[in-house]
Amino acid sequence: MSFREINSRMVEATVVPGRRVYSQRGAMLAYRGEVSFTPNSRGGQGGLASMIGRRVAGESTPLMTVEGSGTVMFGHGGHHVQLIQLAGDTLCVEADRLLAFDGTLEQGTLFLGAQGGVMGMVRGQVSGQGLFTTTLRGHGSVAVMAHGGVIELPIVPGRPVHVDPQAYVAHHGDVRNKLSTALGWRDMVGRGSGEAFQLELSGSGAVYVQASEEKL
Amino acid sequence: MATFRLQGSKVLAVDLTGDAVKAKNGSMVAYDGRMAFKKLSGGGEGIRGMVTRRITGEQMTVMEVKGEGTCWFADRATEINLVGLHSDKLYVESSNLLCAEASLRTGTSFTGLRGGASGQGLFTTTVEGSGQVAIMSDGPAVLLRVTPQYPLSVDPGAYIAHQGSLQQKFQSGVTFRSFIGESGGEAFQIRFEGDGLVYVQPSERITVGGDA
Repeated sequence: MSFREINSRMVEATVVPGRRVYSQRGAMLAYRGEVSFTPNSRGGQGGLASMIGRRVAGESTPLMTVEGSGTVMFGHGGHHVQLIQLAGDTLCVEADRLLAFDGTLEQGTLFLGAQGGVMGMVRGQVSGQGLFTTTLRGHGSVAVMAHGGVIELPIVPGRPVHVDPQAYVAHHGDVRNKLSTALGWRDMVGRGSGEAFQLELSGSGAVYVQASEEKL
Repeated sequence: MATFRLQGSKVLAVDLTGDAVKAKNGSMVAYDGRMAFKKLSGGGEGIRGMVTRRITGEQMTVMEVKGEGTCWFADRATEINLVGLHSDKLYVESSNLLCAEASLRTGTSFTGLRGGASGQGLFTTTVEGSGQVAIMSDGPAVLLRVTPQYPLSVDPGAYIAHQGSLQQKFQSGVTFRSFIGESGGEAFQIRFEGDGLVYVQPSERITVGGDA
């Protein structure tokens, strides 16, 4: 457990030699001890192939590697920070919402079209997330940012959860997502309820939703 | 019977069992179960409501949410306050109304000069009946009691809602000092007299009268 919440907008990470932390570039607020920050042009790990992958995907939020021994505090833009513990499962999160995460986690890029076909791509466009999303897998903790507080909604089989794409933050577990439209004739004549598109998440896991419809 | 729960201070969870609630357009963040969203218009029902909307400009776009399951609402990370009404009437700025039970009647009322100076228009929304209402505030709202002995003056920009039998009066502290640019920044207030409750937020909207 290398991350600790200080308050709702700051987290503290403990780094020891051999155990590094990745964070969004420029998100460090303060540190104690001997800690070095190296910009990560390769954008995490995964070698050349994943670097090209990320280039193509445009999921290249600049990251930095934090190494050494000491404690580092992270925070960004006064946004709320939520710590998520991963125990072997995969977290899907947008790269620009990622504040910091354990170096033990395996980073990857997921093509949304692969999960939902054409609708997956449409979903990325509608929710403003682009066609790719970042995945983190393994054991460790992740700090994600959100505007306003975050609530965690469990997803159980047979009871899908629908989320406003703008309020969606991240999800983990064995979850399938698809874009569901509730477009009716009312939307065509300009009398829509403002809830025409929703993300439908089904399977088992959890989804994190922010208390706002603002993007970061 | 819809039940309103707060999940944290910024997210409202409403459990629905086939009944309906009215909520601000686009404020749904998530739901499970089956839900249908339909646009309504504020200012009361029927032709009368339509005419009042036209005249008053108190345009609030409301949607009706109906179904079975739980629906979560939130808006721009504002704090949410629950108000229980027992055959009572709540006056609230339409921009601060997040969600109300469908059994409550919503209407429009004239506020007089206050609205003009607070930059919110001359009309405000009323919610009447018995049930629960969720109102939004920028920062946690405080509930101030007004009794006949203790009237209350509120900054128009910080006022969000009131209930009970209150008379409101517009009060200006404009003196000749204000004209020479020496004002204290509090040129206008709303004065509440009578018996009731006023909700005030720890933040001020940009108002026309007085520099916020």
